[in-house]
Amino acid sequence: MNPIIFITILLTLILGTVITMISSNWLMAWMGLEINMFAIIPLIIKQHNPRSIEAATKYFLTQATASMILLLAALMNFMYSGQWTIMNFTNSMPPFLALMALTMKLGMAPFHFWVPEVTQGSHLTSAAILLTWQKLAPLSILYQIFPSINHNLLLYSGILSIILGGWGGLNQTQLRKILAYSSIAHMGWMAIIISYEPSLMLLNLIIYILMTLSSFMLLIGNSNTSTASLAIMSNKTPLTMIMLMGVLLSLGGLPPLSGFMPKWLIIQEMTKNNSIILPLIMAMLALLNLYFYMRLIYSSALTMFPSNNNMKMKWKYTNLSYSTLLPTMFTLSMLSLPLTPMMNLLL
Amino acid sequence: MVYLLFMLSVMLVVGFISFSSKPSPVYGGLGLIVSGGLGCGIVVYYGGSFLGLMVFLVYLGGMLVVFGYTTAMATEEYPEAWGSNMVIMMAMIIGVLMELVVVVLLVGGFGGNYVCDFVGSIDWSIYSIEDLNLVREDYVGASSLYNYGSWMMIMAGWALFVSVFIVIEITRGR
Repeated sequence: MNPIIFITILLTLILGTVITMISSNWLMAWMGLEINMFAIIPLIIKQHNPRSIEAATKYFLTQATASMILLLAALMNFMYSGQWTIMNFTNSMPPFLALMALTMKLGMAPFHFWVPEVTQGSHLTSAAILLTWQKLAPLSILYQIFPSINHNLLLYSGILSIILGGWGGLNQTQLRKILAYSSIAHMGWMAIIISYEPSLMLLNLIIYILMTLSSFMLLIGNSNTSTASLAIMSNKTPLTMIMLMGVLLSLGGLPPLSGFMPKWLIIQEMTKNNSIILPLIMAMLALLNLYFYMRLIYSSALTMFPSNNNMKMKWKYTNLSYSTLLPTMFTLSMLSLPLTPMMNLLL
Repeated sequence: MVYLLFMLSVMLVVGFISFSSKPSPVYGGLGLIVSGGLGCGIVVYYGGSFLGLMVFLVYLGGMLVVFGYTTAMATEEYPEAWGSNMVIMMAMIIGVLMELVVVVLLVGGFGGNYVCDFVGSIDWSIYSIEDLNLVREDYVGASSLYNYGSWMMIMAGWALFVSVFIVIEITRGR
């Protein structure tokens, strides 16, 4: 892609998200979401092949449907209350429609099928943008309207996301699909905690974005897209595989790593609210996620599969190019658990 | 003649920007020479014709030697120009950072209200009572609506432009 066109599209992507975040008017928020959706499509088909065009079409159809439902919610809200403000709902129907549209945009459980397909069809960098930056705009709207939303629906959607996000990734061998399913599961955690303590949702989002970005940076550095290509990377860059192991364990939420912090605080907050069974189920379902992260770790860092000698000589072909931000992101996504006592100050 | 001075000044500033954002030293020298020559032109405009000519000959003569030396010493076979990927990317990053700084200044209230300062200038077409604002129904009122919603009109125009632009970018098939 021409660099000037690329920059224009990237700035438009940022512009759409920022408009959605700062607007208090439903129409402007909708317009920001549309600009955002338009700008990501050429990024998905950066390499013109039928698979990426299919992915972009799927993304476009899903997001356009969700935007239409969101616009319908805004119009119904305007019809009932006579104003365009995001926060004031007077009827129970518009927030229901808005919740449906936002779950569709975020790729949460009943509407989650597009996430692995679109992510698998796009380039690794576009997939990283898709799974991190694209969550910001719908989550900011959800953050503003969560008091009016039916909480039971949100909890059902969240627990379904955790189940299906853990379950769907079990049989996958493609790394982008695995990360997409991990995104669905994390969205479920965020949706559940938003009605109890919305700032914990922000914390979970920040930590999730850090971990996903650093894992994608590691994968982009070697152009890894499948478990098989991870398995033969250990004789090219052993250090990268150990870093990937750390990031994946952090995504799974193991205690000394920073991925544990949101899970810990969420479970603590829910038990404080006398909800005991739900966090138990969530913690058990997180093990499904941990299982497929552990399988990736096993095939990349813990074992060496039998392969022919040509495959073992992969180190001499290409130069590695890692992102400059990788050490920072890696450290933040692994070692920020000791900052947990500071969260009282920040949140 | 004032327009000549104006154009000289603008070109001087553009030259300064060009050599302070140089992607490779060769073009830095080029920008410095261009802006130096323009500065001499400004001095000549203000009447210092001898000074301007001397500076142009001596100083820029020396600069030309340095420029030739730089070009000779530059090991890049294909030096990067201002349109290269790295420069545009860095310009974008710095621009976003600057925008962040401006937003922080505005939100923090350090910068005053210089974004929406134009509101009071069209009071003659809006009748306001406390919270309620009424707009005249004739063309003056319509133009004042466009005036109030100018940012939204710019945003809507950009959204329409982006939709066409992206359709063209996708369908040109490259």
